[in-house]
Amino acid sequence: MQRAIEEAGIPTIIIAALPPVVRQSGTPRAVAPLVPMGANAGEPNNKEMQTAIVKATLEQLVEIQTPGKIVPLPFEYVAKV
Amino acid sequence: MSLTTIKGLQSEIFVPITPPSVWTPVTKDIKDMTVALATAAGVHHKEDTRFNLAGDFTWRKITNDMKSDELMVSHGGYDNGDVNKDINCMFPIDRIHELAKEGVIKACAPVHAGFMGGGGNQEKFKNETGPAIAQMFKEEGVDAVILTAG
Repeated sequence: MQRAIEEAGIPTIIIAALPPVVRQSGTPRAVAPLVPMGANAGEPNNKEMQTAIVKATLEQLVEIQTPGKIVPLPFEYVAKV
Repeated sequence: MSLTTIKGLQSEIFVPITPPSVWTPVTKDIKDMTVALATAAGVHHKEDTRFNLAGDFTWRKITNDMKSDELMVSHGGYDNGDVNKDINCMFPIDRIHELAKEGVIKACAPVHAGFMGGGGNQEKFKNETGPAIAQMFKEEGVDAVILTAG
């Protein structure tokens, strides 16, 4: 999906909980906060963390110059299951 | 001595091959961007048709007039516990609206896309669903797309 949008001429970035998966599927740009699948953009109801992740994602959209680069983000959420 | 005894020998075991890279350069500053969201998390409006949890290559359009509490998830491939509490942890639409209001980005795009990743007909995703979503973003003048998946 990311590749299809990128191919159409719109730059993209993906927030991934599983960086090896997005690497394998050929992502152009990715960020990877320390989150479980299902909370890629941060802890539920944690507005501060979600805003910080979205902002950092936008910064990396501009920053990343190498196709396929995955940048780890310094935010951590561990789901209590 | 050549180590190749048989030319073109391939493993019988399926191994996923990473496709060649795709790249569109960023030409605008963040503050001049209209930003859209696309998610493989199975997000859609509550009134909309649910995804087939066994695998579904279709997608749902999410428009900006849908409030975040009118959205829901149908996805059989991950724990929906967090996203059921707060849709923003997979689909940070309220955060994008706030950033647009603060002037960090120019605007939140009028349309977004929800689909169900983690399975389904990959050929359909690649050749139909993906291009259809990309086309919608093109028509709406979207400058950048943030995805959540994987």
